[in-house]
Amino acid sequence: MREFLLPTEGFRAVFVIGKGGVGKTTTSAALATAIARKGYRTLIVSLDPAHNLGDVFMVKLSDKPKELRENLYASELDMEKLIKGYLKHLEDNLKHMYRYLTVINLEKYFEVLSFSPGIEEYATLEAIRNILLEGEKWDVIVFDTPPTGLTLRVLALPRISLIWADKLIEIRKKILERRRMIAKVHGDRKFQLEGKEFTLPKEEEEDPVMKELLEYRKEVEFVEKVITDPNKTSVVAVMNPEMLPLYETERAYESLKKFRIPLNMIVINKVITVEREIPEIKVKLDAQKKVLEEIERKFKKVEIIKVPMFAEEPRGLEWLERLGGMVLEG
Amino acid sequence: MVRKILEDIRAFLKGFGGSFKEQSTEYIEFEERELENVFALILMGSFVGIPSPPTTLVVRLMPHMVKEMHVMQQRAINLDDIFGEIAGMFDID
Repeated sequence: MREFLLPTEGFRAVFVIGKGGVGKTTTSAALATAIARKGYRTLIVSLDPAHNLGDVFMVKLSDKPKELRENLYASELDMEKLIKGYLKHLEDNLKHMYRYLTVINLEKYFEVLSFSPGIEEYATLEAIRNILLEGEKWDVIVFDTPPTGLTLRVLALPRISLIWADKLIEIRKKILERRRMIAKVHGDRKFQLEGKEFTLPKEEEEDPVMKELLEYRKEVEFVEKVITDPNKTSVVAVMNPEMLPLYETERAYESLKKFRIPLNMIVINKVITVEREIPEIKVKLDAQKKVLEEIERKFKKVEIIKVPMFAEEPRGLEWLERLGGMVLEG
Repeated sequence: MVRKILEDIRAFLKGFGGSFKEQSTEYIEFEERELENVFALILMGSFVGIPSPPTTLVVRLMPHMVKEMHVMQQRAINLDDIFGEIAGMFDID
């Protein structure tokens, strides 16, 4: 059995990534079914806005985990609702000091924020964080992700956010240090705006900006720690035996390496196997053979598993369990 | 008479001390304002096309940034005279 798919310290998060249409959802559903069958309490979550996890299980899913069989729970996140909720939360935060912020027209800014680049990634990251925060409720959490590009950006966000937070904390420390120096000579300084008087915070504990920065850093660090810990997170890449998915998997592998996120397994889905030679598909088979050789050569340290093309689409729990068994046991 | 002289001396010393105090922190205050300006500029960078920190962080910090945004606004208004301020600080006429 593949150890990197099972929990070692607390829970295990498994991210199933890959190009659109290669069979990520089927593979992740199969994997979750097989892991649950082994007796681990398993949750499978679809982060893909184009949900089809419910179609694979042949049930209707919502954003609340639904029990499909013993130990197997599934949910589909409603990204639109999530983005709205996420922006609402930020907006509420802003409202109480809103009237002072006259430098720019913030109201208009908020109207367009839901269409701003990156907002989907932040909302997805927030969703992942909330699920990981409750990770102890499960043994294994399988994430069925959106196509590679978006997923990689989401997985890279914690590291990037940490760099930003650290840089801002550094500048903030300098500001507070200078404020303390000045306060030593002049005493506590007041700042007046629109008739309201503020005392300028000079200690880290009393500065709301610093508190917010440290709080944010803590939140992001939690996600970063989980996804870079090989005992807690595994990434499974799904691809078809074709050149384009191979290039994309290679790029994903390099990106993940840069952010220290472990890629443990590549599932090559829909491998065509024939018993006798068929001249009509010889070109296709030759191309497939070439890709398979390339994969063996390029991913020496990653476990590779080939899943044959089935005569019918693997849907429903029994099919998924069989397929999952192949992935889990090898 | 003596009392008046003493009061004058005290007022002079107070004024002298006050001005000395003012001068002693002038550079640090300038530096502090600049750092506050930079801090606000980094957070608002996307408006002028420079890369910004994560949106979440920006929006979470903004409600607490009254002073820094005020400084940034003042800086934008006085931008053409920034060298004047530096020259004044170093007593260059």
